[in-house]
Amino acid sequence: MNLQLGILEEMILIILLMKDETYGVDIAKEYESQLNQTISLPAIHVVLKRLEKKDLVTSKMGEPTAERGGRRKRIYQATNKGYEAAKYLQQKRSEMWKVIPTMNFVFQ
Amino acid sequence: MEGNPDNEFCFSVNSHQHHPPAWADRLLNYFCRQDYSDEILGDLHEAFYWRLKEKGPTKAKARFTWEVIKSLRPKNLKSFYHLSLNTMIFRNYLKIAFRTLLKRRSTSFINIFGLSMGAAAFVLIFLYSYQIISFDDHHLNKEKTFLAYKERITPDGVQPTYDTWVPMKDRFLSDYSQVKAAARIYETDSRVIKNNQFIEEDMMYTDESFFDIFSFPILHGNENRIFGDMQSVVISSEMAIKYFQRDNVVGEEMEIFLPDEDTTMRYQVSAVLNKYPENTSYQPSLIIQLESIPVYPEIVNNWNSSFLETYVLLDEKESAVGLEAAFPDLIETLWGADVRNNTNFKLLPFDEYYDTFLGSKDDAYTLLFIGFGILLIAAINFMNLSTAQASQRMKEIGLRKVLGAIRSQLRTQFITEAFVTSLMAIVLGLGMVYFIIPYFNDFFGVSISFGMFSPVQIIGFSIILAIALGILSGSYPAIYLSSMKSIDALQQRMGFGGSVNFRNVLVVLQFSIALFLITSAILIRNQISFMTSKNMGFDSESTITFVASAGDFTDRDQGIVRLNTFKEELKNKSYMSEVAMSRTIPTQWTRSFTFVRPDGWNGDPLRMRYTYVDANFFNTYGIKLKHGAHFLPDSEGNQRESVILNEAAMKAFEFDPNEQNVIKIGDRRINVVGIVEDFNFESLQIEIAPTLIFHRTGDHPVHRFISCKMNMTNLPSRLEEIEDKWNELGSTNDFTYYFMNEQVESLYEAEKRYLGLVTMFSALAIIVACLGLYGLTLFIIEKRRKEISIRKVLGAEISGLLRLIFRDFTKWVVISFVLSVPFVLFFMTDWLEGYHYRIPISWITFAITLALVFLLVLMTVGYQSLRAASSNPVNHLKDE
Repeated sequence: MNLQLGILEEMILIILLMKDETYGVDIAKEYESQLNQTISLPAIHVVLKRLEKKDLVTSKMGEPTAERGGRRKRIYQATNKGYEAAKYLQQKRSEMWKVIPTMNFVFQ
Repeated sequence: MEGNPDNEFCFSVNSHQHHPPAWADRLLNYFCRQDYSDEILGDLHEAFYWRLKEKGPTKAKARFTWEVIKSLRPKNLKSFYHLSLNTMIFRNYLKIAFRTLLKRRSTSFINIFGLSMGAAAFVLIFLYSYQIISFDDHHLNKEKTFLAYKERITPDGVQPTYDTWVPMKDRFLSDYSQVKAAARIYETDSRVIKNNQFIEEDMMYTDESFFDIFSFPILHGNENRIFGDMQSVVISSEMAIKYFQRDNVVGEEMEIFLPDEDTTMRYQVSAVLNKYPENTSYQPSLIIQLESIPVYPEIVNNWNSSFLETYVLLDEKESAVGLEAAFPDLIETLWGADVRNNTNFKLLPFDEYYDTFLGSKDDAYTLLFIGFGILLIAAINFMNLSTAQASQRMKEIGLRKVLGAIRSQLRTQFITEAFVTSLMAIVLGLGMVYFIIPYFNDFFGVSISFGMFSPVQIIGFSIILAIALGILSGSYPAIYLSSMKSIDALQQRMGFGGSVNFRNVLVVLQFSIALFLITSAILIRNQISFMTSKNMGFDSESTITFVASAGDFTDRDQGIVRLNTFKEELKNKSYMSEVAMSRTIPTQWTRSFTFVRPDGWNGDPLRMRYTYVDANFFNTYGIKLKHGAHFLPDSEGNQRESVILNEAAMKAFEFDPNEQNVIKIGDRRINVVGIVEDFNFESLQIEIAPTLIFHRTGDHPVHRFISCKMNMTNLPSRLEEIEDKWNELGSTNDFTYYFMNEQVESLYEAEKRYLGLVTMFSALAIIVACLGLYGLTLFIIEKRRKEISIRKVLGAEISGLLRLIFRDFTKWVVISFVLSVPFVLFFMTDWLEGYHYRIPISWITFAITLALVFLLVLMTVGYQSLRAASSNPVNHLKDE
């Protein structure tokens, strides 16, 4: 599998996998609570569009709500391909982790 | 298309106390792609209310704005086509605008040409004034830089003098912590020796700190050590090119003769200056350190003779006040309590240097106002012609209204038309300026160019000017034309009515401006011709003066001998009738002062100018003796105990000319042998100053000029002959001569330039105003054609019809004239106050202006009116 995924792209993909169905603001909330770090919505929007283009997520329009000024949500869902991609990266990472000689760092 | 169905949600949102910033919301809404807007805007809104709860309104709002801006990335934006700018209707407006322009060629020409002349005049004036207004602005420390100078408090007022002492700089630096840097400047001339030739160049003696105070960037050399050592010279890039044909000449040697020091020195170039702007007070070409001149050790602590300028750089601008308050104590320490009472140190902000020494920024601002005036006249033309045109465009407006055009659309249409016209006019105007600049520079002896501004600035400036002009000239027609009722418009019922009054006001305004400018120009002209033709009190005709100073010879004693030989040779020429030597000449009069008292007076001494002449000086210049006698002939030797006064000095001393008067300089008693009539040795702007004139024969090294009365026939060959003689002398100074009458004229160069500019632009103003009037006449006659025809049929005379048409114009001109008079009186009285010898403002000037403008107006209106009045009425009555 040959996929270029940025770290933010991967993070958001994982959040999407966690959540089954979600949208921009929800992702931002999740990101901030998980990582203790703020993120701007335009950044999330860009990443979502990119992931969608790579077929890792799909989207559909949701229902309008009051706090959105009567606007509808765009609801995102990870695809199978997205799941595979995230899993593949995770596996590779675990394999690579095993090679890291912990001794060098733990006792410092 | 995705709609926006759930309006009820809005109400619940509105019940929140805080909302996202509306402008940011609207901005994104306008530019964001339709299919993304629900997601992006919705998310941003939702996030806003979430953050509102968590972080408070300020942060939430800031965050919202920030995210809106970040969301404006190209991918999220609508394509240009979908922006609901109504491009189609705009294209239609543009098309109609061009069609209207082409349909009425003569008025379009008047409009565009008039407006472009106005714009060209404005741009020219702007370039010229900007150069003056921004004088010295490239010095970054300008605000905190001050020129230290002294004021003498004398019985007849406070006299500022700007020369200061060598040790002042170090004293200031050590005594006052507010002084961050100080530099002395002494500007003189020098001779660069190249291939055994002496080439005259400007020279500046200063300190290394000069470069800390003034911004002269270095092209080559060490920025931190601009002068390497005492043998270093810093030169401008022009000098580098002139003497070495390249700019990086660091390390090269230059041999320079310093006439003031009577010595030749070898210097090594340590730095080359970058090219600096032309509008700067100091334009150094060669710079050496004051400390490097041989005489420096002798003058380093000399508080007795002042000859150089001292600049200080303060920590902040406001420190100057405190510093000036501290100076009297320093003066007391230096010279004692007596001097404290009659001398004061002052700080002149460098910002005021231009106004104090070089010219007048006020004049530049005045010109700028004239520029605005011309622009206003041109814009008024456009307003008037467009509203007048309304009569012919009423059907179009009516039809547009019937078809559903609302007022704002009509307004946009007319503003668009105005904008198109003004943009064309400005492009044309800039083109004109581009071609005029070389002639302008040549004619007025100035150097303006577009080079001061970057292309971006010029384009931006043009667009802003076009928009401003478009709005200024288009807004009235836009409001007025769009407000017509459609039924009236269609029936062309609206005649000339409604707008006539306002249009008359505008015409009157135009002519007031033009009349004001013309009257002022005539007054300035009168004042200048008064100054140049007034008897100066000395004879400048057929008088020639040679620059001849013993100091310019490498050996001063030999120089004196040779100059006297030269003088004798001149005297023996058949075409020379009088020859005299003097230290100064009228127009380049003395700036040296001494303290002097009348004998027997114990009060404070007077500070008075003095100069030296030989016995033949008064004869040569035809200066009349009023009382007493001339100096004895030079053959009797220097008459050190004698002085001749001018009348002003006599009055200052309160002498009775019939008695034997004596003055005292220090303890020396000097007899007043004669009193000469006052002669104007400077511009008539300045009152004649009291002057002491002492006698020295040609054997004395004080003299700098040889003046001759000369028979001016066959001048070139005679000058050549004299030049050959001069070149034999071996002076380091090139053969230099002045004709006194030209020198007198040159005193008024600034005034003449100002007059030239004012005349040129007033002429332009009246031309543009007449151009507009011409266009207006066409419409008025068109409008009244039927009336004229009917009157003719009923038996009216041509003269009567002409009177009918002229009556309005006469009224306008007279009202404009009455309005302009107080402004002329106010501004010109103020301007004339600047001149000690001035003309009165006479009613004749006003009469001439009025007659002139009347004539122009009649000529403008006359031809068209005559044609209308004499045409066959049948042609115009069968229309209907």
